[in-house]
Amino acid sequence: MATVTIKHITKAFGDNVVLKEFNETFREGEFITLLGPSGCGKTTMLRIIAGFEKPTSGELYIDDQLVSGGKTFVPPEKRSIGMVFQSYAVWPHMNVFDNVAYPLTIKKKPKAEIREAVEHVLDIVHLSQYAQRFPNQLSGGQQQRVALARALVAAPKLLLLDEPLSNLDAKLRESMRFEIKEIQRKLGITVVYVTHDQTEAMAMSDRIFLINRGVVQQSGTPQEIYNQPANQFVADFLGKVDFFKGEADGERIVFPGMGGQSIAYSGPRRGKVEVAIRPENIYFDPDGVLEGTLEHQYYLGDVDDCRVRVGDTAVRVIASGFAYKTLRDGQKVRMNIRDIMVFEDDGLLEQMLKIQT
Amino acid sequence: MKTAVQDRLPAASPSPWAAKLALALAFALGLAIIVLGVTGMREYNGSGFSSESAYYAIYALKGDTADAWSKDVQPLREALTQEQRDKTDAAVLTLLENAWESQGKGGADKARSILAAAPENDRPALACRLLYATYLVNGPKVSTANKKEIAALTDQDAAAFRQALLLCVAQEDAALPAAAEKTAGSLQGTDRQAMLMQLLFVSSGSSASTDAVNVLKKGVRDKAAQLDAFAMIARGDVSWLWQLIVSNSRTAILIGIIIALDALLLTLLMISDKTWVIDFKWIIILLIVDFLLLFQLMPLVYMVVKAFFPESTFSLETFKRLYTYPLNLDALTNTLIAAFATMILGTLIAFPLAWLVGRTNLYGRKFFRALFVLTYMVPPYVGAMAWLRLLNPNVGTINQWMRVLFHLSDAPGPLNVYSLPGMIWVLSSFYYPYAFITISRAMEKMDPSLEEASRISGSSPLKTLFTVTLPMMMPSLISGALLVFVSAASCYGIPSIIGSPGRVHTVTTRIVEYVSLGQQGLNDATGMAVFLMVMAVIILFISDVVLAKRQYITVSGKSVRPAIVDLRSWRVPLTVLVALFAVVVILIPFATIFSTSFKIDVGKSMFDQNNFTWANWKTVFGRVETVNSLKNSLLFAAVTATVGIVIACTMSYLLQRTRLRGRKIPDFLITLGSGTPSVVIALGLIMTMRGNFGINIYNTAYIMIIAYLIKYLMMGMRTVVSAMSQIHVSLEECSQVAGASWLHTMFKITGPLIFPSIAAGWFLIFIPSFYELSMTTLLYSSTTKTIGFQLYEYWTFTSQPMSCAMAFGILLIVVFLNFVLNRLTKGEFSI
Repeated sequence: MATVTIKHITKAFGDNVVLKEFNETFREGEFITLLGPSGCGKTTMLRIIAGFEKPTSGELYIDDQLVSGGKTFVPPEKRSIGMVFQSYAVWPHMNVFDNVAYPLTIKKKPKAEIREAVEHVLDIVHLSQYAQRFPNQLSGGQQQRVALARALVAAPKLLLLDEPLSNLDAKLRESMRFEIKEIQRKLGITVVYVTHDQTEAMAMSDRIFLINRGVVQQSGTPQEIYNQPANQFVADFLGKVDFFKGEADGERIVFPGMGGQSIAYSGPRRGKVEVAIRPENIYFDPDGVLEGTLEHQYYLGDVDDCRVRVGDTAVRVIASGFAYKTLRDGQKVRMNIRDIMVFEDDGLLEQMLKIQT
Repeated sequence: MKTAVQDRLPAASPSPWAAKLALALAFALGLAIIVLGVTGMREYNGSGFSSESAYYAIYALKGDTADAWSKDVQPLREALTQEQRDKTDAAVLTLLENAWESQGKGGADKARSILAAAPENDRPALACRLLYATYLVNGPKVSTANKKEIAALTDQDAAAFRQALLLCVAQEDAALPAAAEKTAGSLQGTDRQAMLMQLLFVSSGSSASTDAVNVLKKGVRDKAAQLDAFAMIARGDVSWLWQLIVSNSRTAILIGIIIALDALLLTLLMISDKTWVIDFKWIIILLIVDFLLLFQLMPLVYMVVKAFFPESTFSLETFKRLYTYPLNLDALTNTLIAAFATMILGTLIAFPLAWLVGRTNLYGRKFFRALFVLTYMVPPYVGAMAWLRLLNPNVGTINQWMRVLFHLSDAPGPLNVYSLPGMIWVLSSFYYPYAFITISRAMEKMDPSLEEASRISGSSPLKTLFTVTLPMMMPSLISGALLVFVSAASCYGIPSIIGSPGRVHTVTTRIVEYVSLGQQGLNDATGMAVFLMVMAVIILFISDVVLAKRQYITVSGKSVRPAIVDLRSWRVPLTVLVALFAVVVILIPFATIFSTSFKIDVGKSMFDQNNFTWANWKTVFGRVETVNSLKNSLLFAAVTATVGIVIACTMSYLLQRTRLRGRKIPDFLITLGSGTPSVVIALGLIMTMRGNFGINIYNTAYIMIIAYLIKYLMMGMRTVVSAMSQIHVSLEECSQVAGASWLHTMFKITGPLIFPSIAAGWFLIFIPSFYELSMTTLLYSSTTKTIGFQLYEYWTFTSQPMSCAMAFGILLIVVFLNFVLNRLTKGEFSI
């Protein structure tokens, strides 16, 4: 359907630069997620695509048409985009039907056609029986679906969603996540989705753009981003991770903080390194390479979240829920590691992880 | 966001039975007081007296007659021979019969029957005391000089003087004492005896206080009733308690009703709450409710009743008479036309301004916003004065320019402010800020994504304005418009200054004219006021009940940054247009007031030779009346604001931090009060606070302060309430968890947090009370004139340049107060 090409877009509010040199292409039919902590610039990027903000510099193309950049600026209403707002923005003075029909009414479509389109799209979002209701008679989830239906009714080439699920409760959020993905797959439209929730991003996206402090830290499929993070921030933001300082010598990495214990490593890095280990990648094994004392367990049902003291360092291990039965606080344990991520220790870790708003 | 709510004040009464007993006792006490009051009232109604205070005088004078008899007459009488004694007694009886017969036919018989009813031995004493009581009111006149001469006698000489007088009564040929010679020397027979007795009474022990005698004279006008009063004085029929009950019977009934009503209300609240513990907060609510019931609701209800039951039977005579009188019909249509036209014109001005200033990239939008809001606090009558100077058909500045500019003849015109359109223009230029404030507040609160959703759906900014922004604004727009309508219809200052000279009457000016006509006028004024009141109540209902339900605008959780519409090529022209409007509506009028205040001849320019003077300023602010009225205004406004803010803070706490039943009752009454037209409030107070309901505060400062409170309390309350709703209750809970008492939390956490709003609320009550005119016009007395009324008087009766000086002075004070407010609240608040 539509491609979005972003060329060197920078946006500043006064002296405050919120986006730096954004340079990407979103392909047709792709589900793109802009992910990042609040204030990272992801919503600003979305609003630039929608046309509610003008970039300070750079160019934006939708398909091959320049819509923002230089002297050109196509206002939002001329961009043929669908958008769902965080607050839903369902107009309280119109009923569901009129809300959804609005984009078509603006286009002066014939009445019958409007009716058909609205009914069709209401059917997609499971709201057919609510057409005559007013927004104040609907639940949050229903209002959210009205907003979605309104965004879809004119069959836009591009659908923008600004944290559409953040006001819903956990269960509803989960089911809406799959509904939105399902609709996108069915209609095949390009979606740009903004969220700060990594689970949402992982579950829905074809590609994730992880943004921090106005800069894209990494882009890629969920698997790439999760398993091969480009830097410590990415590793830290997605999933759970612990960082350990170590020394790599080509064969092993020695952890001074763990009383000199070491693990095998044959990767390219040498010297001071930061080793990032996801707790689910450590497991208890009587023949394990690391030895420590089990300090505490947090039983969460499906998993047993353990804290193990290795030398002077606390190591987090996520074991299976069954482990809780056999393990006792204070006992000696041995652990093995499935996977590690090794970064160069540039001494900037702390600063990098501090989420700037 | 709903805050968790807790009741924190300690509960007062521990057991359900204690509460029930207390309620029952309170109710019984109320009933008992009512019964007492009713008994007293029936006694009074049966007495034929014209004022309850007669009983107070009767009680006070009772002691005097007893004294006169026992100290100064009886011992002397004992000293007489039997024959002399009989003669004296007979003379007293004759004098009494004569005096009473002269009050009306049958008086003598009445005196005789009163005496016959007394035991034989007591008759001389009773007769003498009756005579004394009678002579207090209707005795022979003794000159002041003679009274002084008698008063100057030593105790011994006085006793001798009285002895001699009594002898003279008994024996015609006895020698007159020197002090009686001048007065009684030339008299003969009973006249002589009457004068002698009067002199004796004048010199006797505790001569009756002139105050009590005056009260008696005023309180008992009817001749026959006077006889009853004399008998009551002489017989000592009235006890201290009785006089208290009778002379305060109305107050007693009122107090009794309030106590019983409070007890009932409290019982109802407790039944619905299913608790039988008297909460201290309920007492506070009831006190506020009592105040409002007494001074707000009762006058309004009384007025309506009075209008439909002018002579205590149902009749529409008043309305028929009123509304068939052409002048009144005129006033009625003028009011409706003026208010409607002002509403339309004001809203047509306000909406585009609010949108341009709030939602577009107009140049200097913040400045313009502040400027338009500022007009809100300018007294409307100052605006009327300015436009009068500008558009006077003969010497109005604009008219003079237009004549020169368009080469018109020197005939008056072309514009005439003394007309209905003139009045509409001035009303609009001073009431559009009401709509402006309401609309721009709603506009700035609107969630911008609602409009963005429309833009992304393909609608242009202009189309969005009409399909989304405007419909969403509609409730605020209508309530703003209705506010303008009701304010314009109940405005007095502008119609009285512009309308009266041009014979353009309105309901308010008619009401004020009727009130000045006395009792009949008061009834007629009521009929007119009911019209205004019904109109205001309907509009209040529409905007507070009907529209409130359709109010879409809610503050969203996110910080709202309204979407700004780029005006592009329209930016400069529209800015110029708005600036031009500001110049015409704000700058020119104020400049006119300023320049007129320095003129000698108002028809010429300030810069003309010999037409500039400081004298107006010097004279007006050098006058004692100006200084006094300024003091009055500051004092009344300060008292009103202080009392008001205390009530406002209490109400805010009750509304925001408790789930107490009944807390909405005072809230409703306060809203009703602020929606009631000023003249109606004032008229209601005049009609009910003259003592006819047991409260007499007519012609005092209290009645004015109460009127201001009723009208402006809500301004302060809304400010404090909204501030308190912004403070999450967790802040207070945290302080409590830390160990602070409720009071400590209020003073250290909540108080400081909402202080700016409390200060703002105080000023919001103070400023309109300070320059109030409509209510003051009806309620002032010679000692309670305020600055607004003084200005009005100067304008009407003295000189326009002088009043312009004063008006500008008031403006400066108001602007200064706004500045203080702004500073005090660190820029968070100004009007």
